[in-house]
Amino acid sequence: MVLVLALGDLHIPHRAPDLPAKFKSMLVPGKIQHIICTGNLCIKEVHDYLKTLCPDLHITRGEYDEETKYPETKTLTIGQFKLGLCHGHQVIPWGDLDSLAMLQRQLDVDILVTGHTHQFTAYKHEGGVVINPGSASGAYSSITYDVNPSFVLMDIDGLRVVVYVYELIDGEVKVDKIDFKKTAAATHSAH
Amino acid sequence: MFHSPQMVKKRVPEWLNSSLWSSSPSPSIDDDRVQRYTSNPTAAGLTTEISSSSASDSEPASTVHPPIPVAPPKSTREDKPPPEPQSTDSFPDHEDKSNNTTPSPEDISRQSQLLAELSRKVINLRELRRISSQGIPDGAGIRSTVWKLLLGYLPPDRGLWSSELAKKRSQYKHFKDELLMNPSEITRKMDNGTTSDHDELKCQSKGLLSRSEIPHGEHPLSLGKSSVWNQFFQDTEIIEQIDRDVKRTHPDMHFFSGDSQDAKSNQDALKDILVIFAKLNPGIRYVQGMNEILAPLFYVLKNDPNEEDAAFAEADTFFCFVELLSGFRDHFCQQLDNSVVGIRSTITRLSQLLKEHDEELWRHLEITTKVNPQFYAFRWITLLLTQEFNFADSLHIWDTLLSDPEGPQETLLRVCCAMLILIRRRLLAGDFTSNLKLLQSYPPTNISHLLYVANKLRAMRPTGYRGSFMYEDLTNLIILIALKLCLVLIARDPFENNSIPPCEQLKPTLTPLE
Repeated sequence: MVLVLALGDLHIPHRAPDLPAKFKSMLVPGKIQHIICTGNLCIKEVHDYLKTLCPDLHITRGEYDEETKYPETKTLTIGQFKLGLCHGHQVIPWGDLDSLAMLQRQLDVDILVTGHTHQFTAYKHEGGVVINPGSASGAYSSITYDVNPSFVLMDIDGLRVVVYVYELIDGEVKVDKIDFKKTAAATHSAH
Repeated sequence: MFHSPQMVKKRVPEWLNSSLWSSSPSPSIDDDRVQRYTSNPTAAGLTTEISSSSASDSEPASTVHPPIPVAPPKSTREDKPPPEPQSTDSFPDHEDKSNNTTPSPEDISRQSQLLAELSRKVINLRELRRISSQGIPDGAGIRSTVWKLLLGYLPPDRGLWSSELAKKRSQYKHFKDELLMNPSEITRKMDNGTTSDHDELKCQSKGLLSRSEIPHGEHPLSLGKSSVWNQFFQDTEIIEQIDRDVKRTHPDMHFFSGDSQDAKSNQDALKDILVIFAKLNPGIRYVQGMNEILAPLFYVLKNDPNEEDAAFAEADTFFCFVELLSGFRDHFCQQLDNSVVGIRSTITRLSQLLKEHDEELWRHLEITTKVNPQFYAFRWITLLLTQEFNFADSLHIWDTLLSDPEGPQETLLRVCCAMLILIRRRLLAGDFTSNLKLLQSYPPTNISHLLYVANKLRAMRPTGYRGSFMYEDLTNLIILIALKLCLVLIARDPFENNSIPPCEQLKPTLTPLE
């Protein structure tokens, strides 16, 4: 039972001052085992804050990040699942499922987490699952101003993943979940 | 008559007087521990001690206890035959425990008595308690069954055993399933019950994943009190502490620690029992030290020669642990510390007991050297003496503790009192630092002797006490004598038998003047 927090596109301090208070009250240290961050934090203080929530932090570089040392993509294995991480501004067209599926095949992962569009989406295709946690601070994006703050918490338990989606709609936190199982024969035989 | 017949003798009981009391001067007791696993000369050495002390009786009496009035040595000799066979009885027993090679006749008889008792259809618990209070022999492997009977886990009627055991064991399994599940599994169970399986994932190769509502607001970051997740995270702290303590339990024993598969499974069992206990008892949860009380119980029950019983040792131990702890729960509750049932009051009772039996030592310890009993007795009492002696010895002490029909606490206090009295010479000679050091790492002792002394204290309780009774008695005697003298003086009335009136008596003095 591993809890993985996925979030990104905070754009603090340029486009948003901070995470919403209701989100901050829920995110307490000690509950989460891993944090994966799509990027665009943008400053070191946000990085430090995320570190206090959980020491195991993985970040990829977004185009506005002030820290230049983050990698473009990252892969990690948690339990039975391989996770891939990328900010998403490199994948054109932005947010296009087919292109993201290409990236997923390149990284050879079961779950790909990308951001940049500031909209929560969760797609499934034959290769695996693509999740976009949206913007955790509700910052406006290049595409739209109408952004609800959102982030994703994944509960990885064996071959099953429960994805809890946290959204702040009209000042209230709404939580939904998505269930999916990895079939044992899901790994590709051909590369 | 204001003396009971026993107090008329006005002497220190012989057993208290003998040099067996002191640990340092008599090398046989100290060497006990060292030689225990090598040879068995100790029993012989100790028995000679008794016989030699009987010969030179008045000397130890006058050197060790100065305030004693000159007690006629003759009266003490009467007391010797009763203690002697008892003490020789206990030593071969001790010898057996140490060597496990040659069980003595007394031991064998006790073993056969126990076996006879256990094989009856309806076991007489009083009889069982009586026999086991002298110790349960190691060789027969019956300790596990006897402890289960003494703790009330098994009913006395043998016929009911299988049904009782099955019931309890399934109850424990139910507890485990219910309480040890992590929230992921719980939510999965809830899901499977309410909604149908999302099989469409297999058919759907592309597209948006469907979102579903969560039941009852159950999500991992939930801060609600009734949330499964929230409770889980709150319990995690306790579970971590239990885990740490279990790993530290008896690091010197292969049964409990090490890399072997057995040690790991034993540790897991201990952890599960403690976690379930903490969850079922939100009042006291887990307190450090419960692992120490659990360890001997689990060890004994797991080493049951009966394989089926050993396999279910975890379930049985849980219920025995609950039963054992029920008498001592209040010691672990911090809020009750200062109450009548709390640990402070129990320590005060120990102090009182010591004062009754050995006022001199009590005075020296608490008043002169200011060794507050809390400094040493806290660990003795809350952990049931498991930390003061080695593992095998504490099992023997527990035999006696568990066999007390009034409950282990009374016997525990008596054993603690006996522990203090046995090292009285060193304590009386020491100051605060040395006494505290001595009491916090209690020197090795002959356990059967300790239990024997503790038993003696029980017998002495209603009537005789050591220091105080003598002083009281002396003053009473003096008053009595004084009263009698006064009576005699007053009774010699000059007007009575002599029958010379006072004026007549004066006459002879008057006449010569004439």
